[in-house]
Amino acid sequence: MILLRAFRLVHAVVLTMMLCAAASAQSASNLPHVTLNADNLGPRPIEQVTGANIARNYAVAWEALTKALEQNRAALLKEQFIGFAKDRLTQRIADQTRTGIHVRVVDQGHRLKAVFYSLDGAAMQLIDEAQIQTQVYDGSKLIYSDTAPHQYLVLMTPGADRWYVRSLESSPSSTP
Amino acid sequence: MACRSTAWTVALLATSVLFGAYGFASDLHVPFSVNAGQGFSISTEGSGDGTFYLLGPGNVIKRPVKLGAEISITSDDVANSGQYQAILCSSQGCAAATFQVHAGDPARLSFFLHPSRVPVSTPDAIVATAFVFDRYYNPVLQTTKVEFQISSGAGADTTRTIPVQRGVAWMRIGSSNKAGPVRIVASVADIREPRVIQQVAAEACSLRMKATPNAKGALLETDPVRDCSGNPLPDGTIVSFTKTDTTGKTTVDAPIKKGVARAQVELKGHSQISVACGVVLGNEISVAGKT
Repeated sequence: MILLRAFRLVHAVVLTMMLCAAASAQSASNLPHVTLNADNLGPRPIEQVTGANIARNYAVAWEALTKALEQNRAALLKEQFIGFAKDRLTQRIADQTRTGIHVRVVDQGHRLKAVFYSLDGAAMQLIDEAQIQTQVYDGSKLIYSDTAPHQYLVLMTPGADRWYVRSLESSPSSTP
Repeated sequence: MACRSTAWTVALLATSVLFGAYGFASDLHVPFSVNAGQGFSISTEGSGDGTFYLLGPGNVIKRPVKLGAEISITSDDVANSGQYQAILCSSQGCAAATFQVHAGDPARLSFFLHPSRVPVSTPDAIVATAFVFDRYYNPVLQTTKVEFQISSGAGADTTRTIPVQRGVAWMRIGSSNKAGPVRIVASVADIREPRVIQQVAAEACSLRMKATPNAKGALLETDPVRDCSGNPLPDGTIVSFTKTDTTGKTTVDAPIKKGVARAQVELKGHSQISVACGVVLGNEISVAGKT
């Protein structure tokens, strides 16, 4: 039992050190790395500028989400999320605050694949293969750590000056 | 940079394996997947007090539990589809398990029909897109089909059945050759969402005009303006008459009223007059006016 606890302590210390170092590296580069693959996208083809904007807006959204989940401040979501995505994340952060939970995310990048772009240009669906590590804390106590790759089904819609994340649905990474 | 990133990943994976090895995953038994809004129980092992956490896409639950007892998860706790983490902590440590909540049966449709007005006889001009949700507005990713029932004044109703892919079903059709409303009803299960758009006349076809000399010059008047399918262009559509005479070139825009467009022009000497509507050029006539 003593060996077990010592093992856990070492684990927590090592993991925290790595997360801190990774977090500082991330803040230096600001946005998480996002690549967009729009091969075979249909039914509407994508403009190069639109693709660049989507990748950037999605990166900004994840940066905001990471900060909001760690600091438990829904205001940090800003306007990157709208609709169901914003409602759910806002509720999640409110619940985190109420229960004393916070989540630290180390974002190592996203591989986006655009799979549907409506002909009227009003919606784009994407699959995100996200390389993120999450740690869940109750107060200062680490209660959960996850390093598995995540897959998200994302729905983005255009606004006046950016693309918004309207739906962010996590799914098992094995799902096509 | 890439090397550092890889090193982090390897290190984190290694520690995660260790974490998993000394976790108590066997203490917590969750279903592999459940449907949204479907309550269930999680069985636990051991004895004593513990704290249970449930982290979902849109909610977090924390409650004290008795180890060895079942933990009840209500329908509201799993209303959002996505991945959930169930975590059970005791004095022995924490155990965690992940499960997936899938959307329930289709219960809502977001249906978009585009554009609101479309010219007749245009291939692939009408686009119907339907997003399928369950009662909690989770996108339905399971295999299902959306039926689009198309009604217009041009013939019998037709139906197209489109499989839903990742929560979306879409199709495109051409407009008929008859102006008027086209109604498309998207349906899945017992949900029906109707939308109506307007098919309008296309560009003018065989545009012709005549000039009737009068005391002020000439009255220009088109024949009834129709598209190539015989649909009258709507009132208000602008027709341009262009006159070239000794004073130069003058253009008069006139809206179609009751199917024809008219304009009064002054004429100085011999005049050439042409007529156009949109991108369509009509006939050209020569008129002798006052000298």
